[in-house]
Amino acid sequence: MTKKPATPAQTILLVEDEKEMANEIKAELEGLGYLVRTASIAEAADAARVGDAAMIVMDRIVFGEDSLNTLEALRKEGVKVPVLVISALSSIDERVHGLKAGGDDYLAKPFAMVEFVARVEALLRRLDDVRTTKLRVGDLEMDLIEQKVYRGETRIDLLPREFKLLEYFLRHPGQVITRAMLLEEVWQYHFSLETNVVDVHISNLRKKIDVRGVPSLIVNIRGAGFMLNANA
Amino acid sequence: MRMLEVFRSSAVRVALAFVLVTTVATTAVFGLVYLQIREANETRNRVILEDEAAKSVNLPVDALKTAFEVRLTHDLRRVDYAALFSADRKAMFGNIDVLPAIPVDGKAHYVAASPVQGTVNLPGPAVFVALARPDGTIMLLGRSLLETLAFRRIVQNALAAGLAPMLLLALAIGAFFARRSSRRLTDIHDTIAQIMKGDTHLRLRVRSRNDTIDKISEDVNLMLDEIMRLLVQIKGVSDNIAHDLRSPLAVVYAQLERGLENTNDEQLRVVVKQALTHIDKAMLTVAALLRLADVEYGPKSSKFRPIDLAAICTDLFEFFEPLATSKSIKMTLEIESPVQMLGDGDLMREAVSNLIGNAIKFTPENGKVSVSVTEEDGRPVVRIRDTGIGVEPAERDKIFQRFYRTASGHRVPGSGLGLSIAAAIANLHDFDLRFDDNDPGAVFEMVGRGRQASGNFAHANHPSV
Repeated sequence: MTKKPATPAQTILLVEDEKEMANEIKAELEGLGYLVRTASIAEAADAARVGDAAMIVMDRIVFGEDSLNTLEALRKEGVKVPVLVISALSSIDERVHGLKAGGDDYLAKPFAMVEFVARVEALLRRLDDVRTTKLRVGDLEMDLIEQKVYRGETRIDLLPREFKLLEYFLRHPGQVITRAMLLEEVWQYHFSLETNVVDVHISNLRKKIDVRGVPSLIVNIRGAGFMLNANA
Repeated sequence: MRMLEVFRSSAVRVALAFVLVTTVATTAVFGLVYLQIREANETRNRVILEDEAAKSVNLPVDALKTAFEVRLTHDLRRVDYAALFSADRKAMFGNIDVLPAIPVDGKAHYVAASPVQGTVNLPGPAVFVALARPDGTIMLLGRSLLETLAFRRIVQNALAAGLAPMLLLALAIGAFFARRSSRRLTDIHDTIAQIMKGDTHLRLRVRSRNDTIDKISEDVNLMLDEIMRLLVQIKGVSDNIAHDLRSPLAVVYAQLERGLENTNDEQLRVVVKQALTHIDKAMLTVAALLRLADVEYGPKSSKFRPIDLAAICTDLFEFFEPLATSKSIKMTLEIESPVQMLGDGDLMREAVSNLIGNAIKFTPENGKVSVSVTEEDGRPVVRIRDTGIGVEPAERDKIFQRFYRTASGHRVPGSGLGLSIAAAIANLHDFDLRFDDNDPGAVFEMVGRGRQASGNFAHANHPSV
């Protein structure tokens, strides 16, 4: 896990009624330098309204109440705080429901902490500027309008799906990206796979974008997933 | 319905027995009536003849002759016989030429046939009394039994005329009931077959009439309800276990992860890493179990939308092909045209991905995996063929069961729930998931049961199209 104190310390509000789970999440995020405050859904909503929360992590059902109702109300008021919904309800329908209500991401329990952290960080560092037309890391440049990719002066031919894959990495430089995140975002597959297909796709992409003698732009993060080396 | 089945049904046997008994009874009644009447008739003839003979035995010959003539003249039906024979048995007068071979004793005797004078060809049985007169002549009186005979024929005809329609009627009624009860039995048979195939919500039809079949159907339905209740309970227990396990597992996992970060004790790190691997496996299984429960209880077909099975498979093919290539497996795709159906695209994608993933997993290097999507007899069919290790015949029934993994499959990582999930998804979409031998390798087929509404959906929703 990359330890990277977020500066200034960002406050994450945690709405979770399972104490053990809450403690673990708190410990994990605090270990990464975030400020974590457990809160009731109403408290979290209030904090979000006054801009006092960098993001909210909410369990779907808290003390028997569906927190999506509050989230929906919050979105109607125009509050844009990033929200990660974690839930024991794992079906695709529930996921769609969660995202429709205004969740930015939906993670079904049980999850590995790396998966959770990767999603929290992705949301915290989300690029809100969707008008970007060019993405760049080091000498790798992606032109979103022309749909072209260059490494230095060299034009790189990518298949449509490879393009999307690289785009996702370029939009999240320096962040841990899990296989599940790639499956969901690049392929829209919302189920777990018991094979390492994603790794094969990454390795194919690497072969195309990497330059001989230079460390790969996309590195493996053991036990977690991948990361685009932002400092390349 | 086939004739054979009609005759095999117990109702038909009952009907046939009924027909038989009725026939015998009716025949017996007719027969009895006939016998009674004939008996009475013959007795009367005998008594009258004997009495008449006795009375006229002493009449003078002239008077006798007159009496005979009167008697024969009045006998318009020509059933009476009267004649006098000389002592040497020569006919003297009367309508009989030859004395029948009966004792001359004044008692009535049955004679099979006797010609009547002046009436040619009038054979028939008759009763005769022969009596010796004081002058030595022999007086003969008789009465034809032709009428009795005619009466017998009438009775026989009546019997035949009555029996034939009755037989037909009984047969028809029997066939009707047999057909009806056999149709109901066929219905029950079909329903049970469907229930065993997985339509567990179906129940046998019970009518308000409440006959034996209804009673038994009711009992079977109660039994099915009970089985379903137990099944749901068992599933619920395993789902609850999975549900309750997920939080502690996630917590333990996180705690161990954190511990791993904070220790430099190499020995401890090794142990913790091993523990994490196992917890990871457990979490995979729990997640798959919950996924299975989601599929089985979750989406309703009312939420289905038109999807293109061919597009889904093309997408998955492109997704999996690099994996196959990395294992030097040649992967091919056969798709002719869009295959429209109603369904949940995400779920269908998941089911097919499980099958393709399996095929690649169990196929050795330089093997082949082919994916084809076709419409056969209007039914969508997805077929995934591989040249892998296949499935042992003994294991073929079990591969769709929860957690079942083939003996050879144990070497390959996985939850053992992939095929169960695929089967549950297939079933939800009214597809059968079947296995076949590819010799070598395996063929998994998802075949629509023909209720997918497929391409007609567009027409149903947009009549103008």
